[in-house]
Amino acid sequence: MTSNPKGPASMTTTGMIDFRGVNKWFGPLNVLKDITLSVQPREVVVVCGPSGSGKSTLIRCINGLETIKDGDLIVDGQRLGDPATNMTRLRTEIGFVFQSFNLYPHKTALENVTLAPIHVRKIPRAEAEQAGRELLAKVGLADKVGAYPAQLSGGQQQRVAIARCLGMRPKIMLFDEPTSALDPEMISEVLDVMVAVAEEGMTMMVVTHEMGFARKVAQRVVFMDAGAIVESGTPDEFFSHPRTDRSRAFLSKILRH
Amino acid sequence: MLENFSFRTIVEYLPLFGQGLVTTVWLSALSFLGALAVGIVLCAMNLQRGWLFRVPAKAYIDAVRATPLLAQLYFLYFGLPRLGLVLPELVVGILALSLNSGAYVAEIIRAGILSIARGQVEASVASGMTYVQRMRLVILPQAFKVTIPPLLGQAIVLVKDSALLSLISVAELTRAGQLLASDRFMPAEGFLTIAAFYLLLYYCLKGLAALSARWLGTAGARL
Ligand SMILES: Nc1ncnc2c1ncn2[C@@H]1O[C@H](COP(=O)(O)OP(=O)(O)OP(=O)(O)O)[C@@H](O)[C@H]1O
Ligand SMILES: [Mg+2]
Repeated sequence: MTSNPKGPASMTTTGMIDFRGVNKWFGPLNVLKDITLSVQPREVVVVCGPSGSGKSTLIRCINGLETIKDGDLIVDGQRLGDPATNMTRLRTEIGFVFQSFNLYPHKTALENVTLAPIHVRKIPRAEAEQAGRELLAKVGLADKVGAYPAQLSGGQQQRVAIARCLGMRPKIMLFDEPTSALDPEMISEVLDVMVAVAEEGMTMMVVTHEMGFARKVAQRVVFMDAGAIVESGTPDEFFSHPRTDRSRAFLSKILRH
Repeated sequence: MLENFSFRTIVEYLPLFGQGLVTTVWLSALSFLGALAVGIVLCAMNLQRGWLFRVPAKAYIDAVRATPLLAQLYFLYFGLPRLGLVLPELVVGILALSLNSGAYVAEIIRAGILSIARGQVEASVASGMTYVQRMRLVILPQAFKVTIPPLLGQAIVLVKDSALLSLISVAELTRAGQLLASDRFMPAEGFLTIAAFYLLLYYCLKGLAALSARWLGTAGARL
């Protein structure tokens, strides 16, 4: 049973991210099935679900790392796939944090943060570096400005990766399992940074199984299974009173860990 | 046998060997630059999605790798004049070496680029970089480091291949050996001497490779 989070009204109001009947296939595999979902400005939505359910694909469509087959996906008022939409330009408004960090290994932490602002946003170098230092300080890495990624721990690398996105002053931040490649003791340092970003009013979609994070900052949890949105509700509703067998089975699995 | 070995003649011919060595060095250097240019263009064509550029590039690379360099050299040396293009032997030689090595260089660069993890491409795409920015700022600087050692290996091959140019009477190192061999009937002296010079060049390039490896080693710690 697909439940529309906001009722029929959300079809008319335009959110920051609007999926309207989106379908995607990988060959014969229907990885996104008739997805309808609207994320409002400043809203934080957590996406969870079993492995292979299409969570990564869902958020990768938003910045065009994957392309959709049919349906409409409207991001910041622009329809993806529309000839009038400049995808490269739109991507500068969307930060994407990867599970595997993907920092540039040949650049220092500061250079990682300033590279796109300088070359894509065309911000003067001195100004970008000033902002970059402030961002690295904000994620608790003021002393790692000159360090190369290989010299940083996983948690530190992921914080640099978040700072790298923030350096572009995006309107939207997407996170694909940002803490699942980290040692347990490093998870909270990254989640703390994400909480701070959320509290500043960033529009966020976060694929994660971190219930603590979801309860703290998410307005909504979306549960996916086999390419479809099966359930959607506030964190409290979802974690305490899951409505479907599949979400109950899923929750019992992640709770056991 | 050694009592017949004439060091005197070698010394006598040393200026000729010197000239040959110098010619071998600079024609190899020029050919290598040519090969880099050819290789970069071929590789760029080969990495395109559309078949229009990719298929010809692949066909060219296969053709070069499947046929002997000597055949390619003769093809240019005897073929170009037929097309009305008469070039000095030296130019034909450099052209042949550039076109031949370029095919190998293209594959070396392509391997370097493809060795850069997909995550690097995705991160730079996600930050709004254009294809050119991505290549210039993220992919090529990383690929460059990976390709230097195999490129120097290709340079060593090129120096040895340049010996074939003696067959179209370019006065390079092997040609000097041939002259000594045929003028004085001293093939041992002639060819052993050039072998020694090729060995010298080999060690020079190997030294360069070791130096670059050390330089890459420190930079590699950043990787
Ligand atoms: N490039 C691709 N080509 C073919 N199939 C793919 C590709 N990427 C993903 N898939 C398939 O699409 C489905 C959804 O994948 P996706 O990565 O979105 O799942 P996920 O929910 O993020 O899973 P996980 O929790 O393991 O990251 C899976 O069945 C996966 O095997
Ligand atoms: Mg995933």
